[in-house]
Amino acid sequence: MAGILKLCWIFLKIGVIFFGGGYVLIPLLHRIMVDQLHWLTLQEFLDGVALSQLTPGPLAMLATFSGYKAAGFLGALAATVCIFLPCTALMLLISSRYERFRRIEAVNHFLDGILPAVVGLVFAAAFNLGRTSLASTRDFILLGAGFAVLQFTAIAPMAVILGAAVVGLLLHFS
Amino acid sequence: MEKEINKVTLPQIAATFFMIGATGFGGGMAIVALVERRCVLEKKWLNHDEFMHGLAFGQILGPFSLNISTFVGYYLRGSVGGILAAASFIAPSFLLVSALSYLYFRFHEVPELKSALLGSNPIVIALIVVAGIGMAKRKAAGLETAAVAAAAFAASALFGVSALTVLILAGCWGLWKGWFAGRVR
Repeated sequence: MAGILKLCWIFLKIGVIFFGGGYVLIPLLHRIMVDQLHWLTLQEFLDGVALSQLTPGPLAMLATFSGYKAAGFLGALAATVCIFLPCTALMLLISSRYERFRRIEAVNHFLDGILPAVVGLVFAAAFNLGRTSLASTRDFILLGAGFAVLQFTAIAPMAVILGAAVVGLLLHFS
Repeated sequence: MEKEINKVTLPQIAATFFMIGATGFGGGMAIVALVERRCVLEKKWLNHDEFMHGLAFGQILGPFSLNISTFVGYYLRGSVGGILAAASFIAPSFLLVSALSYLYFRFHEVPELKSALLGSNPIVIALIVVAGIGMAKRKAAGLETAAVAAAAFAASALFGVSALTVLILAGCWGLWKGWFAGRVR
């Protein structure tokens, strides 16, 4: 029970600081889950990102995966509820008085400052993950091919991930 | 508010958002587009301007897709509607990820699965880079914002500053900039 409470507290905190759409969760969760708490290995973390991309839900479904690893199904449920609690509560609050909220300039300025930083953090996450997990030439070729497909075609990320999994399977077993 | 009485029932909200959550592959903006088509264009539950306001606020904290669901639910049936829409939207993904997590932690020692996942590894990183580029085009196109993005990258990637610290510093920079612009004007 204490474990679940700690889990709730950690994901509530993460829920309070995920600004700008969700990708900022990658650097945050990577640091907290892999570097600090050691709940996930780097490999598990990357696999979790892949799994969460196989669903229509936001990237934050990574919380479900992390929670599952930490404490089974109950952990997955607790992590999911807690990570979404702050943004849902805030959204309800804003929705109830949105005309007024729109005019608060400080909020806009704060966000104007944060959003470009989120962009930097997202690239930093790619850099950190790549530095530790890309080893062989084959990895870099897959990275380049994946990048080209995702950037220049409208193929869904889910399909690309599944396709790459098939490639991985063939490369190792043929 | 003297508005026409909303005829949208809670089960209708739940069913609609559950379907969106179950079928809206593509995530993020793809979901937003789907919500717009279902709720604004087809069902006419709210008009386009209201939807856009909801979208603007949805960028503050958390994922757009969840926030726009909460917003529409709230607009239709108050807090209960908002929470119901959010929960219904997340439910299919939650069940799917739970099931996949179970399979993963149970079977990831299987060599076939391991090599399949090694193949998807670089794609995950490519995905993050592509997302970063997309965001950069929208949020860091100017010189000053690009500099903020570069500074955030350097702080996090090269100097190991925590993401939270970076975000708070950037927010304060935004506040200061706004205050300064106000003074000059």
